[in-house]
Amino acid sequence: MKRFEEIPHTADWSFRAFGKDLRELFENAAFAIFALEGGTSRDLERDAQAREHANETARVVAVRAMDYESLLVNWLTELLWLQESHHETYQRFHIETLSPTALRAQVFGTPMTGLDKIIKAVTYHNLKIVQTARGWEAVVVVDV
Amino acid sequence: MITKQNLERIADYIWQVPQNFRGDMRAPARLYASEELLEDALQDESVNQLVNTATLPGIVKYAIAMPDIHQGYGFPIGGVVATQLPDGVISPGGVGYDINCGVRLLASHLHAEEIAPHVKDLATALYKNCPSGVGSEGSVPLNAKQLDDVLEQGAEWAVNASRGYARRDDLDRTEEFGKMPGADAGAVSKRAKERGRKQLGTLGAGNHFIEVDHVAEVYDAAIADRLGLFAEQVVVQIHCGSRGLGHQVCTDYVNDFQRAVREYQIELPDRELVCAPLNSPEGQTYFKGMAAAANFAFANRQILAYHIRRSLEEVLAGIVKDFDVFQIYDIAHNMAKVEEHDIENKRVKVCVHRKGATRAFGPGSSVLPDDLRDIGQPVLIPGSMGTASYVLVGTGKAMTETFGSTCHGAGRVMSRARAKKEVRGEKLRDELASRGIVVRAGSMPGLAEEAPQAYKDVARVVAVVHNAGIGRRVARLEPLAVIKG
Repeated sequence: MKRFEEIPHTADWSFRAFGKDLRELFENAAFAIFALEGGTSRDLERDAQAREHANETARVVAVRAMDYESLLVNWLTELLWLQESHHETYQRFHIETLSPTALRAQVFGTPMTGLDKIIKAVTYHNLKIVQTARGWEAVVVVDV
Repeated sequence: MITKQNLERIADYIWQVPQNFRGDMRAPARLYASEELLEDALQDESVNQLVNTATLPGIVKYAIAMPDIHQGYGFPIGGVVATQLPDGVISPGGVGYDINCGVRLLASHLHAEEIAPHVKDLATALYKNCPSGVGSEGSVPLNAKQLDDVLEQGAEWAVNASRGYARRDDLDRTEEFGKMPGADAGAVSKRAKERGRKQLGTLGAGNHFIEVDHVAEVYDAAIADRLGLFAEQVVVQIHCGSRGLGHQVCTDYVNDFQRAVREYQIELPDRELVCAPLNSPEGQTYFKGMAAAANFAFANRQILAYHIRRSLEEVLAGIVKDFDVFQIYDIAHNMAKVEEHDIENKRVKVCVHRKGATRAFGPGSSVLPDDLRDIGQPVLIPGSMGTASYVLVGTGKAMTETFGSTCHGAGRVMSRARAKKEVRGEKLRDELASRGIVVRAGSMPGLAEEAPQAYKDVARVVAVVHNAGIGRRVARLEPLAVIKG
């Protein structure tokens, strides 16, 4: 299954993330954020090879929210905060627990080098998490 | 999708979506555009986003979009909505993440030909002295107390700091005199402050820039003279905002307001439009935080102006007699403000959201400084990279039609992804160089995203607001050097 696809947006960035379940959807949305910034290769194989040699740092993320959509915004926002605080980009995401109002995850990052742009914020614009025949989807718009 | 058939033509440059177009609209939605710019606007989601803003509780008259309208999130970029106080709403997403993103114009006493041999050195000095790009940190690190002072005093802090960062006359030529009333550092989260602490005096990345221009054409000699502008004069523009601090303030309050809309039983077509009555505790707290972030942006542009003055001195001292620059004006284009406007022969207090739109108060406005009151507020409209920018003044018609607002720039027509596919940054830099424009940029893909072909023609946008009477053209600027992150 494709992890995400970019959706054309005139001024900002938008993507549709996919997952066989909600946990995978949240992980793939996080992957999309850093892939769009250029910090993660979209080539999964090359990415996996690079990881073997990468000096990854593990960090714990725990966020709460009022519903799944807010939780998705808060999860992605928290990752951007970690990025800015530690000057890292994140390639791997392991969600340990996920409920409609809380998420706990381990994320693995490497030092941020050569990014052209970082995302300013994750918006709620037209945000909806929907179940499809193949799993789950969410469309996210980010301000750049 | 909204089509031209859904719009009524109200006047030569005004199109309207009637209130009965959708059951949830609380007012009609108006768009200022020529036929051609209307076609551009109908290409993406922007007119639908405009209609969404017409559902905000307390909206007065109509939702408005300027001719540089393009797709945003929540509000379209180029959107203006006023809500009637005390119970009209304020929407953090309606102001956006880059609170008080804006433009400052500094003017020299020099003719372009005097600095022609030194433009490259000046561009290099500006790039070196004005921190820019992803993760850039400023030259003015702040402790907690100093940051709180910046948040509550705005550009005035830079005067009070007595380190030569600012002059009193800079404040006179700044919207709100560089200090938003009602700002409270206590309404800004610890995380937002953490993000802002090292970012004062930084340009950032994206579409933010410093540009050295010359005045290529003067349309209104009398007003240009009053502002201190003359043909072939060297001027400098700064375009940037409140950096990570503002982004975080917006993020925090859009999140908080998700609950507030439930509490106040406000139904909206888009969760990014979440809002609360301005007189509610939530509305008041956001306003104080937004005003503080706006003050950070005023101070940020002020520190960048200081770096520009240093750069001019570094390159031109001993070469030209007078390398000083004075401020023409500093305007905000992402802000919500409490203002009084005449509506149906009554003076009404409203909360005016301008998202990618500029305040353009006309002659006689009591909030303008004494020396500008009879000519109206200066309005600064930057074009896309390598193209013209414009200086306008506000008009009486803007006061009656658009809550004293006009456009803010050219407006995008092409996605960043497509621009990067179609344009190579290095090639663009060389093309600009062949036209005599010096470019100093940290990122070539970033440069490609801002290619002129990704934007509307700013001359056409400005022609609409001038012809519609909601702005009056004073001068056109053409670039000599562009500095980007």
